[in-house]
Amino acid sequence: MSAIVGLLGCGVLIVAVVATLLRLQRFPPSARITVMLAGAFAVFATFGDLSAAAYVRGVTGDLSATTLVLAGAACVARLTGRAVIESRELRALFFLVVAAAAFLYPFALGWTRFDSYALGYGSIEFVSVLLLVTLAAWRLRRNVVVLVVVVAALAYCIGAYESRNLWDYLIDPLAALYALVWLLADARRRSREVAAARAGTA
Amino acid sequence: MTVAGPGAAAVAAGWLRRALLVAVALAFGGLYYRLFAAPALGGFVPPQAIPRAAPSTAPLYRPQLLPNSAERSVHSATAAEISDGRLRAFWYGGSREGAADVAIYTSVYSPVEGTWSPEHAVVTRESAQRHLQRYLRKLGNPVVGRDRDGRLWLFFVSVTIGGWGGSAINLMVSEDEGETWSVPRRLIASPFFNISTLVRGAPFLFTDGTIGLPVYHEMVGKFGELLRLDAGGHAIRKTRLSWGRTSLQPVIVPRSETEAVGFMRYAGDPPKRVLMVRTADGGATWTPPVKTGLPNPDAAVGSVLLANGPLLLALNHAQENRESLSLASSTDFGKTWRIAHEFEGESSSPQPLMREFSYPWIMQDGAGDVHLLYTWGRTRIKHVHFNPAWLADRR
Repeated sequence: MSAIVGLLGCGVLIVAVVATLLRLQRFPPSARITVMLAGAFAVFATFGDLSAAAYVRGVTGDLSATTLVLAGAACVARLTGRAVIESRELRALFFLVVAAAAFLYPFALGWTRFDSYALGYGSIEFVSVLLLVTLAAWRLRRNVVVLVVVVAALAYCIGAYESRNLWDYLIDPLAALYALVWLLADARRRSREVAAARAGTA
Repeated sequence: MTVAGPGAAAVAAGWLRRALLVAVALAFGGLYYRLFAAPALGGFVPPQAIPRAAPSTAPLYRPQLLPNSAERSVHSATAAEISDGRLRAFWYGGSREGAADVAIYTSVYSPVEGTWSPEHAVVTRESAQRHLQRYLRKLGNPVVGRDRDGRLWLFFVSVTIGGWGGSAINLMVSEDEGETWSVPRRLIASPFFNISTLVRGAPFLFTDGTIGLPVYHEMVGKFGELLRLDAGGHAIRKTRLSWGRTSLQPVIVPRSETEAVGFMRYAGDPPKRVLMVRTADGGATWTPPVKTGLPNPDAAVGSVLLANGPLLLALNHAQENRESLSLASSTDFGKTWRIAHEFEGESSSPQPLMREFSYPWIMQDGAGDVHLLYTWGRTRIKHVHFNPAWLADRR
């Protein structure tokens, strides 16, 4: 099962990236569907021993729920021409992803004796903090955060990936990097808007 | 025809929120169930728990080279005892280290005949990438062990991009003493695209049936870790043996259910020494690494605790190079050491020293005999078969 799930995730990511680069929403609806189907066929068709999805999986491994939800949302957005996830939802999700990455990756590199990645193998404290964050997100109506955690937790419970570490279901370096770039761009855009508003009122 | 108005949208949003809350309850119910239903972890299986025949009282010392019919560059041998007291060894070989044609080879040793069978490949890069459904650029270190049900587990390193720092670990299982193998599967041990985890030390058993696998990281940091694997070959726990940028290739030797010692290669500033760690709680926590008095040129070591005997450490006993290979012995579980024998080096070899003798793998079989395998000039794997009676004469 993990191979199918892993390849499927990488395939969805490739299609989402290509659709975004092509700015597929500019095309007529029938062309969008045709390109999406052709892309889906291309990423899973094998060339020699491997498909394009398998080549990507060789580098990235299985993708986290965060990346899968974002890639899936990007595909739908390019197909329908409408954003699926609101900016305020993305802002909350990406803030949490960057915070989690800052907690996870430096320690995973052997910086100290403490290994935050080891918490993902079964820590009541880790799961409890995740539950509190998820309930807070639900209370604040940040539904995408809740959706990502639910997808990750359910996938973890049924062992959908090769990993048995909850971290691998929640985030991956691609999601962390994308979230960081998005937040920096968002902060820059918002600061410009504030500056423009001040200039307008002056 | 009815048109859904703002009221209907609010109702739908309300239902969505309630559905999300139910999903949260289900998901976290599952997470907590897994936490509380997880079985208690066991301690180490000590070497005394493995049944062994009474060793021969006549000294035995039998060195020989393993076959290498295609004259490949070979490195990093590992071995496990199989049925009838035979030994099955594995190593990697190809046109050069890191080449695309590197494969994992195997050969079987018969202690009765004293010979090794012709070698053949058990894993190639192409077969591994086909089964793993991932592109692979090269293969590396293999290590072999046996689980509680008697199955052989073969772990091997592979790289998709970059050097050895970009490695991941794969595993295959054999139920017929290594004649046939399951398809390889990936072991996940790192959050960075699962790269930079390698193996070199021998796997060992815990009393709960899980397998301990010493591993190490090489990307940015160099440090050792201990993975605990379930029966399906998934990492279910990880404990850090060291941290920072100077230690790698751990080997772990249990003495009792709670006690074990670990040795690591040291990649830091001089003086170059073998590093040592200890645990007294079944591997849950480890002491910080300390330098032993044993010199070592940043090279892999092998270790085994003989049943009712000393702790042995095979190593390059020099700071500068890998031109000698020695056997150190400790009767106080690593506190003090003496060099019992030099297998390769000035005292054992009359020819000019220009070879590399490295990556020792040492183990004790069911008859009580000891087997040492190591890289011999990268052109052959060498096997030394000796017994405790021979070792006793070295004292």
